[in-house]
Amino acid sequence: MTVGPVRRDEATAAFFDGTARGELLLFRCPAGHFSPPYSQQCDTCASVDLTAVAASGGASVVSRSVAHRRGGHRDILVVAELDEGPWWWSKVIDVEPEQVVAGARLTVVVERADEESEAVPVFRLA
Amino acid sequence: MADRSAAIAGLGMTDLGKVYGRTAAQFAGDAVRLAVADAGLELGDVDGLLTSAGVSGGVGLALQRDLGLRDLRLLSEMQSYGSTAGQMVQYASLAIGAGMAETVACVFADAPLRQDTSTGAAYGARGAVGWRGLLGAAGIRDTNSMYALAAQRHMDTYGTTNDQLGHIAVGQRAWAELNPRAQMRTPMTLEDYHASRWIVEPFHLLDCCLVSNGGIAVVVTSAERAASLARPPVHVLGWGQAHPGHAQRRHEDFGLVSGAARSGPAALAMAGLTVSDVDVVELYDCYTFTVVITLEDYGFCPKGEGGRFVADGTLGPDGKLKVNTGGGQLSSSYMWGMTPLSEAVLQARGEAGRRQVPEHDVVLVSGNGGVLDHHSTLVLSPHGPAGRSSS
Repeated sequence: MTVGPVRRDEATAAFFDGTARGELLLFRCPAGHFSPPYSQQCDTCASVDLTAVAASGGASVVSRSVAHRRGGHRDILVVAELDEGPWWWSKVIDVEPEQVVAGARLTVVVERADEESEAVPVFRLA
Repeated sequence: MADRSAAIAGLGMTDLGKVYGRTAAQFAGDAVRLAVADAGLELGDVDGLLTSAGVSGGVGLALQRDLGLRDLRLLSEMQSYGSTAGQMVQYASLAIGAGMAETVACVFADAPLRQDTSTGAAYGARGAVGWRGLLGAAGIRDTNSMYALAAQRHMDTYGTTNDQLGHIAVGQRAWAELNPRAQMRTPMTLEDYHASRWIVEPFHLLDCCLVSNGGIAVVVTSAERAASLARPPVHVLGWGQAHPGHAQRRHEDFGLVSGAARSGPAALAMAGLTVSDVDVVELYDCYTFTVVITLEDYGFCPKGEGGRFVADGTLGPDGKLKVNTGGGQLSSSYMWGMTPLSEAVLQARGEAGRRQVPEHDVVLVSGNGGVLDHHSTLVLSPHGPAGRSSS
């Protein structure tokens, strides 16, 4: 399984509507700053006038690690910097660990565990 | 002006580790009773209580009734994760200094281990819903993964290596061999470290702290009162907290600098001391990496040099700097911030047995919570603030 199952709650409903369309939603304030989708206010200027916008999908690796699971499976985990500025923590799929180095370019895709679950943003190498 | 400074007068430690059949609340009660008795006091002397719960919960306001404490003047549950223990001593000292309370018990207890589940499951994911569930669904399932990402960034940026992290694990195990309370006392080599299985690269199993059941409490009172009690007073000379509030965005120094960079210098300045005055260092070591970043941020070595610093014969009983002298959370037991604090009290009193550091006039203690999100520092000493050269 590429990603695990996850259910929406009130705080994540709009975000998961976005991932269902294949989008990773961010917030943008009137000054043009981007903030993560869980923000209450702009994390640059504190504006509460936030509009949800889809990220371009481009990102770069800030840090990476390799999680070793039972049965020998490995997950390549990253903190990635979206081209808009916010960081996103997720995994990189269809890749060997050696390819995921600091600065490597990534693209956002969404995967879901099953039809009951919400779609989860993950990365592939660009 | 009257001296209203505070001192730690009592320490209580239950059996720690794979201890089954007691709840966290029972461990907490045991720890407070032990700490009060250690100080030569009675429960009726306690007029303040601060509690801190771990992952199993169950340690809180009800402890007052469990202990039969009447007419408290201070009572609260506290939570800043691993920095809580140090912070409780700070709030207790402030209350004592203000005349709000006279004798404050501060306790942490946890009972995450069950006889029929793995230690990993004890700290595992809890329900995949919302933002937290999303992180887990994407593979970031636990704290190990988050600290691994922090550590790898430090390694990529400064050239820190696994071999260097291994020196921390090996050095602390050598201390643990001298600590009869330590959970892990079999000798460890650097080869053992490298051979231990990967958990989340760059962390081997031996980079990660233990999981423990038990409870630890301290009794904080005025230095004046502590002087007439059963144990040698451990004076609280300085403290600091720092909660950086990192945003998740471009240019953040996640993994490179922690709150220790502000909290440590603040605590030492309050005590009128510098790092060169420190004799014993008890650091929060949830991972080997946490020791590296805290040593750097406290100023024991330049930023980025932590890995080379610890690999240079610095650690262990024969090392230049006496760090985590009980074995720490890596090899002794994991009682969050009470692990470094309790060892600091024993060292400051001169009661650490075979592992006692001969020079123990200044003991520096760190607490670290979240993923390098919360930091607390204490400067402790067997000597009061008036004159450290004489008690």
